[in-house]
Amino acid sequence: MKKTIFIVRYRWWIIIFTLVVVLGSIIPLSQIKINPDLESYMPDSMLSKQHNKEISEVFGNEEPILIIFESKDVLHPETLKRVQEMSLAFSRLKEFEQVYSLFQTKNIRSEAGMMVVDPVVENIPETPSEIESLRATIQSNDLAYRLVVSDDFRYTLLILTSNRTIRDADLMKLVKKTIASVPGNEKVYITGQPYLRDEANNKIGRDVMILLPIGLLVMLVFLWISFREIKAVLLPFSVVIFSVIFSMALIPVFGWELSLIGVLIPIMMLAIANNYGVHFVAKYQELNAVHPRKSMNRIIQEALAYLKKPVILCGLTTIVGTLGLVVHLLLPASQMGVVSAIGIGFALLLSLMFIPAVMSLMEKGKPHKNLGENPRGFFHRLLSNTGNLVTKHPKLCIIFFVSLFIVSALGLFRMKVAPDSNKILPAKHDFNRAIAITNEHFGGNKIINIMFTGDAKNPELLKRLHSYETELEKMPNVGSVTSLATMIRKMSTALNDSSDAGFNRIPESRDAIAQYLELYTLSADPSDFERFVNFDYTKTLLTIQYQAESLVRIDSVLLKINMLLKTEPAKYVVGGLSLVDKQISESVETGQYYSLLFAFLAILVLLWIIFKSFTAGWMGSLPLLFAVFCTFGWMGWLGIELNIVTALLSSISIGLGVDFTIHIFWRLKAELASEENWIAAVKNTLVGIGRGISINAFSVMLGFSVLFLSAFPLIQSFAFLIIISLFLCLVSALIFIPALCLVLKPKFLHFSPTLSSSSVLFIEKEDVKRKIVS
Amino acid sequence: MKQIIILSVLLLGSFSLFSQTAEEISKKSTDAIDVGNMEMVSTIHIRDAKGNDRVRQITTASKTYGDVTKMLIKFMAPADVKGTILLVYDYENQTDNMWVYMPALRKVRRIVSSEKGKSFMGSEFTNADMSKPSSIDFDYQTVGSEIYNDRSCWEIESKCKTEAIQNENGFSRCVSFIDKANYLCYKVEFFDFEGKLHRVQTIDNYKKQANGKYFAYKMAMENVQTGRKSEMITNQFQTGSQLSESVFTPAALEK
Repeated sequence: MKKTIFIVRYRWWIIIFTLVVVLGSIIPLSQIKINPDLESYMPDSMLSKQHNKEISEVFGNEEPILIIFESKDVLHPETLKRVQEMSLAFSRLKEFEQVYSLFQTKNIRSEAGMMVVDPVVENIPETPSEIESLRATIQSNDLAYRLVVSDDFRYTLLILTSNRTIRDADLMKLVKKTIASVPGNEKVYITGQPYLRDEANNKIGRDVMILLPIGLLVMLVFLWISFREIKAVLLPFSVVIFSVIFSMALIPVFGWELSLIGVLIPIMMLAIANNYGVHFVAKYQELNAVHPRKSMNRIIQEALAYLKKPVILCGLTTIVGTLGLVVHLLLPASQMGVVSAIGIGFALLLSLMFIPAVMSLMEKGKPHKNLGENPRGFFHRLLSNTGNLVTKHPKLCIIFFVSLFIVSALGLFRMKVAPDSNKILPAKHDFNRAIAITNEHFGGNKIINIMFTGDAKNPELLKRLHSYETELEKMPNVGSVTSLATMIRKMSTALNDSSDAGFNRIPESRDAIAQYLELYTLSADPSDFERFVNFDYTKTLLTIQYQAESLVRIDSVLLKINMLLKTEPAKYVVGGLSLVDKQISESVETGQYYSLLFAFLAILVLLWIIFKSFTAGWMGSLPLLFAVFCTFGWMGWLGIELNIVTALLSSISIGLGVDFTIHIFWRLKAELASEENWIAAVKNTLVGIGRGISINAFSVMLGFSVLFLSAFPLIQSFAFLIIISLFLCLVSALIFIPALCLVLKPKFLHFSPTLSSSSVLFIEKEDVKRKIVS
Repeated sequence: MKQIIILSVLLLGSFSLFSQTAEEISKKSTDAIDVGNMEMVSTIHIRDAKGNDRVRQITTASKTYGDVTKMLIKFMAPADVKGTILLVYDYENQTDNMWVYMPALRKVRRIVSSEKGKSFMGSEFTNADMSKPSSIDFDYQTVGSEIYNDRSCWEIESKCKTEAIQNENGFSRCVSFIDKANYLCYKVEFFDFEGKLHRVQTIDNYKKQANGKYFAYKMAMENVQTGRKSEMITNQFQTGSQLSESVFTPAALEK
């Protein structure tokens, strides 16, 4: 009671302090930065990132952008002219280190005693016979066929390497402008990390700008339908807005950036932050309806006395659940855990202090008509029937849940972890269409680089590189393997006659290799082989282009590499973006287990402490276990992959779902305290608190449903899964837990003097009147 | 009276200097260093941005026969390419011919010469920098005067007339610092296709040769965008060549 007096006495201080904190939060919020770079989501200590850094320090950290032209026949003069003009336009831009197309790809050949190094297309063919001649030339050139031109000649590539001197947005604007400056009938697709980041960046901004207002509007409508009273709507709503502002401001305050995952934070706050305020205004309306003569201050005091303990406990469990994300290896996930936990704590504090403080300054509203003595309606009927079902057939209910659990959980065996981040954008997006084309018609869209340290002119090293190339190219998902050995062998075909011993072979002497390279430097562009060897010929690179639609396929390539390199005497480093992607995926999986385990254990311990019983701990954890396993099982059955976003499900759903179980336990305990009749207690619990739990659950689900409008399919899947997960938590709290209690009759629910005072508070006089005694 | 005559001569002289077009100045500058037949030993340093140094030592002999300048370049160092010989026929109005002899193969191979705008021997110099510019490809303009290394210089801009010429040469325009007294060029600034400074060439250590022409014993080229730098130092030089024409043939390379 003292606290209530405190709140009323210091209401102005509370209101002013709240407003100052919220207004103060706007300053850092206005400086929030978006970071769409998935690679940066992982700590720098990550092995694959370190390997990539090591390689990029020697061979540069330029990023490729692929432009794919699609036409019936890319050798048509108009298409070739367009590719040529575009290549030229790009090569004139200093933002691109290299421009590589049919017009830069070399045709190294021997012709009448000459080594000829020409671009594959020297002159654009005019006649059908010239076109066919060029087709034959390309088909016989392994530096062009299936590397820059598809096997069916429907696609050709223009590869740019960005030197990362400008922002992604400016770079992509430049790329699109240059493409538009050379118009044509061919369909043009773009792919590459800068494009992915730019698209993700735009969509993250769009998501926050669109989803949040829609979410707030939906929440406003939901609150109005629920309460029909301006202050009852605006106060929880203000808590939502304040909590969203405060939690989002924490991102720049902690020196972090808004990631793709960060899009979930405002929506999550939207869904969760109103919970506690809703409880308060609902209680106010209930008390006002039943005791119309009570003063506002009196109602506030009683509502607080009634709510503070369960609301604080629910808030704590949600905080603990979301804190499960802190142990996640993915940086934005752990940052989200911290930000959400503090944000939820803030919402909890505002609900218990700011709302009562403001309400104490207001006049009471008219008593709510629908809160009469004989409640009816959909929820009442549904929960009443549920109560009947559970009490009549508790074992059947348990069998049903266990069966559903087993069938669903079997889907876990089918669950896949996303091998990369490509599915961030919709499947129909040009970016993914381009990836599909590179996988189907070119060597694949994934790259592994192996950097060898040693004398790059040493014939033994080059011979080993050649043998690795041959072995790896035997793998069905490996498109091409290129290294300095490829170039040297190609040069040998131009410098030797086919009858010569040195034809299509790595020369036996170091001097010969040095002279091949010197000759190439004299006659052609040394940058052709500089991407395979460093300036002083001490490091050389082997590049594997492959495709993999699952982690297993990536692992198969890695396994082969490890097997081949087992006896490699030179020092080597294996890197590549696909390995960073792979490690991100693996971290998503591992992080998921850590978060799940942390949240699960924390909730178990919390319930154990709250109810002073280990049985309460494990029983209360069962609905969460059920919901989490079923959701992941269904992901397996439905083919939804575990990715950086869906992996956050478990912690969030555990944090939210446990509230329902706490309410059920608390109410059951209170019911049993007033009358030792399990069946009546269960029925009264479901009818009494079941409505509040259901409304609470549906409001949270409604909040998350806004995510269906996200531009990211990953987030849409998350919305679907979190709603399913919360629904499962709800039904298991309403059916499974009461059925289990009826069968086991656990001791911790029996009346205990230590908890009596608070437990009894749960049973309102009005609720007692509504009791359905069987 | 004497003073008036001197002043008139000076004025006339300076008038004639100012009346020179930028193209004429540029041509005179090219002519001033046109040493004709020659033989030399030079060292090329190719340095990357980190300061790693790749050294090539070459001997060059050059002789002009009609419209073709024949050039023989022999590698002396490093050891692994020692003995490699490059023979170039540089035609005025047609694509160059190139042959190479590689000691490891003991064979002569004809190679197709690379584009002018491409790197010369992997250095920051381009093939275009090594050959005489074709004046019809450029628009010339005097853009200013500057004291460079205590020498009063014109700043002559040579602007590529077409995009094709830009692509061929690897720059959009260049500004040459040409000595007003002797037409020697000390510095050339090359600008990329976007008009930004790309490479800076410095030319030092000019020595007047027996035929009255000048030869620069030191040239450096710095790519200001990448930090890479190349240097060509001539250790020995002589005008004229004792070599007979038969030496400048592909068949002679194997001998």
